[in-house]
Amino acid sequence: MGRSSQLWQIAGSLLVALAIAAVATWAVTEHFGPTSVARLEAQEKRFDQRQDAREDRAKAREEAAEERAEG
Amino acid sequence: MEGLIEDLTRGNVTEVKVVLATVLLALAVYQLALAAVSYGKVRPRFLGSGPATWAHRAAGDTIVVLAVLVATACIAYYGFEEGGAHAVFGSLLLGALALKVLAVRIGGSSSPLLPWIGVALFGLFAATWLSSAGDFLGVG
Repeated sequence: MGRSSQLWQIAGSLLVALAIAAVATWAVTEHFGPTSVARLEAQEKRFDQRQDAREDRAKAREEAAEERAEG
Repeated sequence: MEGLIEDLTRGNVTEVKVVLATVLLALAVYQLALAAVSYGKVRPRFLGSGPATWAHRAAGDTIVVLAVLVATACIAYYGFEEGGAHAVFGSLLLGALALKVLAVRIGGSSSPLLPWIGVALFGLFAATWLSSAGDFLGVG
């Protein structure tokens, strides 16, 4: 077996190891889904923003109702 | 140390540990295949014994570094108290890794102990993974 052929075989074996590591990483992170702290914080922020908007709308409706009652 | 681990994993300590442990287990399976080619038990046309041995060593070095990193994070962050079977398997695994490195350094690559330690190591990798990451992923 030539030296060049051996080098190709070694390179190929190491590439397979890299591919195995990449596939394992992908499979596990895919299994986790959106559980990273950054994603959860973003979800929480969106939820808070929606809650604030709902509260603002309710407050505006109350004020409008009060104005109508006074007028 | 706990703070450093939290910072490095951005608060996802368990998730990072599970990913690294799964990569280690997958590479351990590949190591078994490479060892089988290296010892001539399997003779594929596309891979000779010499290159398989070389790749086995290179992947093995990577596995040792990753395993020590995972073990350090595990012990520093979670400690031994709550570990149970996982702590026992993990400790045995680190011992077997050290034994294999010693066997290679002292006895060389022809040491008759190496295949046995290698198979034991694979079993310990699987047991350690099943008792923690496997549980977390709903496999164990």
